[in-house]
Amino acid sequence: MSKIAESVPPKGGFSFDLCKRNEMLVQKGLKQPSFLKTGTTIVGLVFKDGVILGADTRATEGPIVADKNCEKIHYMAPNIYCCGAGTAADTEAVTGIITLILSHVVLIAITSALCYCFWYACNLFYLFNVAMLSLDMVSSQLKLHRFHTGRDSRVVTALTLLKSHLFSYQGHVSAALVLGGVDVTGPHLHTIYPHGSTDTLPFATMGSGSLAAMAVFESKYREGLSRDEGVTLVAEAICSGIFNDLGSGSNVDIWEKEYLRNYMLPNPRTYVSEKGYSFSKKTAEVLLTKITPLRELVEVIEGGDAMEE
Amino acid sequence: MGDSQYSFSLTTFSPSGKLVQIEHALTAVGSGQTSLGIKAANGVVIATEKKLPSILVDETSVQKIQTLTPNIGVVYSGMGPDSRVLVRKSRKQAEQYYRLYKEPIPVTQLVRETATVMQEFTQSGGVRPFGVSLLVAGFDDKGPQLYQVDPSGSYFSWKASAMGKNVSNAKTFLEKRYTDDMELDDAVHTAILTLKEGFEGQISSKNIEIGVIGSNKIFKVLTPSEIEDYLQEVE
Repeated sequence: MSKIAESVPPKGGFSFDLCKRNEMLVQKGLKQPSFLKTGTTIVGLVFKDGVILGADTRATEGPIVADKNCEKIHYMAPNIYCCGAGTAADTEAVTGIITLILSHVVLIAITSALCYCFWYACNLFYLFNVAMLSLDMVSSQLKLHRFHTGRDSRVVTALTLLKSHLFSYQGHVSAALVLGGVDVTGPHLHTIYPHGSTDTLPFATMGSGSLAAMAVFESKYREGLSRDEGVTLVAEAICSGIFNDLGSGSNVDIWEKEYLRNYMLPNPRTYVSEKGYSFSKKTAEVLLTKITPLRELVEVIEGGDAMEE
Repeated sequence: MGDSQYSFSLTTFSPSGKLVQIEHALTAVGSGQTSLGIKAANGVVIATEKKLPSILVDETSVQKIQTLTPNIGVVYSGMGPDSRVLVRKSRKQAEQYYRLYKEPIPVTQLVRETATVMQEFTQSGGVRPFGVSLLVAGFDDKGPQLYQVDPSGSYFSWKASAMGKNVSNAKTFLEKRYTDDMELDDAVHTAILTLKEGFEGQISSKNIEIGVIGSNKIFKVLTPSEIEDYLQEVE
């Protein structure tokens, strides 16, 4: 008789089995692929009776802006949201680059540029998966916890789940997070570093634009801000990051009890060429025209038996 | 569970081809408190008796109807602790499905997975079948649905069903009263009347539990005051 396949949780963490082989390869002269640091400005602020989170919307791959309007504020629970810097911020970037690559394949033959982009994406895709999965997983765990206890989630619960997860990956998941939310015990704001250490602060900034944003906070923050003052201050801090840091740019996203996507758009596209961007049909010389009619390969049969239960 | 000393299953075939343990499990269900479910045109209602062993028990702490996902609820007849295990497993499976497919789990899928768990316990080493039958009520893209899952792991979709002590009377009553175009409110009234049929003692908002899911696709357990309103309407 077989034993029950108990749903054992996976052991977690990375497998370091190939480290020795990698070391040997480096000694033999192999250049290891380096991981890309991405730019971001993410901030959080506690005001009189709540928390405000802010983030820019630029996702970069080296010198290229991969996504001009990505979402860096992620859902944890209805009352708890999390901003991600580092690889966590590349969610939209990776999906953006994959579609970019696919559209190029359709229009142009495979070029060396494409291979380069694909290599970038492969590296990031792996890291992205791990980083975003950890946020997804914590959000799932919080949901189950809410069902079991019948209570709303607390920010410290999300904090503990995230820091335990990141610690078990020993810093290899480079997700630097700003976690904020309001629960029965009040408003809370925390920063979480890739190795799993955390800070609890009244205002916090992370990412490459953190110094620019922190400068704004340090000079203008005071306790007992009202909601509107707080949102204005957060927007100002993000703008400081957008304009003074190359890694951050585009628009401002804000979360204060509800997600204000693209709260501010300080970088609109102003110039659009009058000539337009399409080319007339006579521009390219047609050498050969071949039309292949599409055949339907799938036959749909109506009726049939329902699946046996 | 499934220890090496118990690598043989306790549920074995009898010469007549029956699995006696499952029959006994169904008997355990049949001696549990009555519960029923009715599928209306625009929603589903499930209800159960909540008879507590003594007046000293704090009835607010007991909740027999549970939420599995925001749009799926469940009620049981039989052994309460067994149902707790199933509810926990089902919730986890629903969450895993969502994580993988980024889509709320369809009712049929969740029922199938729960039934699979129940079947596993009839064919594994060192464990016994669950002593509960579940009534799963949900509302998804296919509309309102009501399923019954038995200790054997078989499941059926019902328009209206009952389980527990008073099952035969309740089913007869439901057969007479059920119409395909029932509205949710009518269904709640019918559910209360069906419970009343076999109720020992005075029915009140404190000794029954009702869960509804309407076209808003949110499963809700009615509060005692809401149940009181429905009881007033029925009388």
